[in-house]
Amino acid sequence: MKLEIRGLEVSFSGHAVATVGELDVDAGEIVGLAGESGSGKSMTILAVLGLAGTAGATVTGSVRLDGQELIGMSGARLRAVRGRRVAAIFQSPSLAFNPVYRVGRIVHRTLRLHGLSAAEAGQRADAALRSVLLAPDLLRRYPSQLSGGQLQRVAIALALALRAEVLLADEPTSALDVTVQAEVLELLRELRDERGMAILFVSHDLAVIAELCDRVAIMRAGQVVETGPVAQVTTAPRHDYTRELLAAVPRLEVRP
Amino acid sequence: MTEGPLLEIRDLRVSFGPVRALDGVSLDVKRGPFGIALVGESGSGKTTAGRAVLRLVPAAGGTVRFDGQDVLALRGRRLREYRRAAQIVFQDADNSLDPRMRIGTAIAEVLKVHPMAAHRLAGDRGGDRVAALLSEAALDPALATRYPHQLSGGQRQRVAIARALAVSPRLLVLDEPTSALDVTAQARILALIRRLREERALAYLLITHNLAIVPELCEQTAVLYLGRIVESGPTADLLARPAHPYTLALCSAVPEVDPATRRSRIILPGDTPPAGSQPGGCPFHPRCPLAVDLCRVTVPPPHEVAPGRRAACHRAEEVLGGLRPPGTPAQLAGGD
Repeated sequence: MKLEIRGLEVSFSGHAVATVGELDVDAGEIVGLAGESGSGKSMTILAVLGLAGTAGATVTGSVRLDGQELIGMSGARLRAVRGRRVAAIFQSPSLAFNPVYRVGRIVHRTLRLHGLSAAEAGQRADAALRSVLLAPDLLRRYPSQLSGGQLQRVAIALALALRAEVLLADEPTSALDVTVQAEVLELLRELRDERGMAILFVSHDLAVIAELCDRVAIMRAGQVVETGPVAQVTTAPRHDYTRELLAAVPRLEVRP
Repeated sequence: MTEGPLLEIRDLRVSFGPVRALDGVSLDVKRGPFGIALVGESGSGKTTAGRAVLRLVPAAGGTVRFDGQDVLALRGRRLREYRRAAQIVFQDADNSLDPRMRIGTAIAEVLKVHPMAAHRLAGDRGGDRVAALLSEAALDPALATRYPHQLSGGQRQRVAIARALAVSPRLLVLDEPTSALDVTAQARILALIRRLREERALAYLLITHNLAIVPELCEQTAVLYLGRIVESGPTADLLARPAHPYTLALCSAVPEVDPATRRSRIILPGDTPPAGSQPGGCPFHPRCPLAVDLCRVTVPPPHEVAPGRRAACHRAEEVLGGLRPPGTPAQLAGGD
């Protein structure tokens, strides 16, 4: 198993905000984490990244990458994992890029920080941009000159350039137009199918989860209330809350 | 002047420098209860259209008539009266509510700016009105003493709606009212709008990039691309049988829970080109999966393609008849 979460608990001053008993993401698999705002999805992601502590949270339990425990790992060792082997993309790509630097500088700097030579960084950046269907000359622009969809692709390209094995995606399409969302979802499918990436995908929208994910965990008020293969959870939900989430999805068909 | 539409927009144009953000938009908003959707991607001009109607951005040409009066020529007292009668709800209630102002104060302020004779006559006290408005928006009146940051995103959007309703508008511009919310909060806001439109006989312009929220709220739909309406008509018919390839693509982008109703994706290459760098011929042709030589040369004029249906596409009749991009089944938008 690529990523194994066991008994993970994130708490603030003794108050648990996210508890995940058991959640696995294998290579070549997309697992969804669904729930409303405040259900603990993003806190789970931050805990896996080893970043919940910087937000003032206490994290207990176990998160293993290829069997190696990440919780409690020292800062220096964690830095070699985070970004490089476990990459993350977030809801607002415009906040993920420093607006005063050209996109290329941000990309190169990140690759250099992870140990690539200048020449390697240049080659990989260009190749990664092409593989997310962006022209490498976009690297010369500033973040404000790119659309939200383009920036989200650059963020994904960065994960590709570092050959990340796990991608944590926290509502990566929620701020995008539905048309651009469709493109980004297609790209994530390619990462799974062609590069065997393990993807943990957080969303409040079960329709997006249903289209993209292989398995799903439904979170409510910090607890996982239902897990299973996506088709099963969305067609035969066992928990009332799952039914509620399903009912909230707007549908295009015109009702009589 | 009670027979015609409430709002009549003809050939409305808005320019920002050399950029034509809105390039000749015409549509009618009937008297409420009535909803019309303006649908398009970022950069399509839908938000600009809503703002131009409310005189929040200056129009470069065309006419807007509200109840027969020329909106673009209104000044002074009449403009103030129009701005009471036509209210807006923005996408992001975080930014449209003053973070230092209690909810009750924010709503009462609108009542002060637009004092209404009816309330004075009834000897209304501001607090009673605020409580009634919060209840109408399905919020606990006790929230009046809270600050915006103490509310959830969905609650804040209800406050924005309550504030817009405070001055009894006849027209609402709803600019992506649910895009910043999760689907659960979105469903509640949509239900609220549906209830209020009947109770208050509201007419509204719903601006959105997501076609899925349109069928339950809007009788009519207009699809905008690069500042022009590329297709318009009754919502049910338009979604069941799109006549423009861009509408097809928008429909196909809506994610579906049920695999049986899932559509084949039409991925449009690239983003909306920056306004101001419009290609020759049909503005949509560089991204259109059905473009032919004619499309690269000649701008397709909007024309009637079926009763009540208009489209600006050389191949609209073929698309209406079932033409789909290669690899896409004909049964695309319908759920049947």
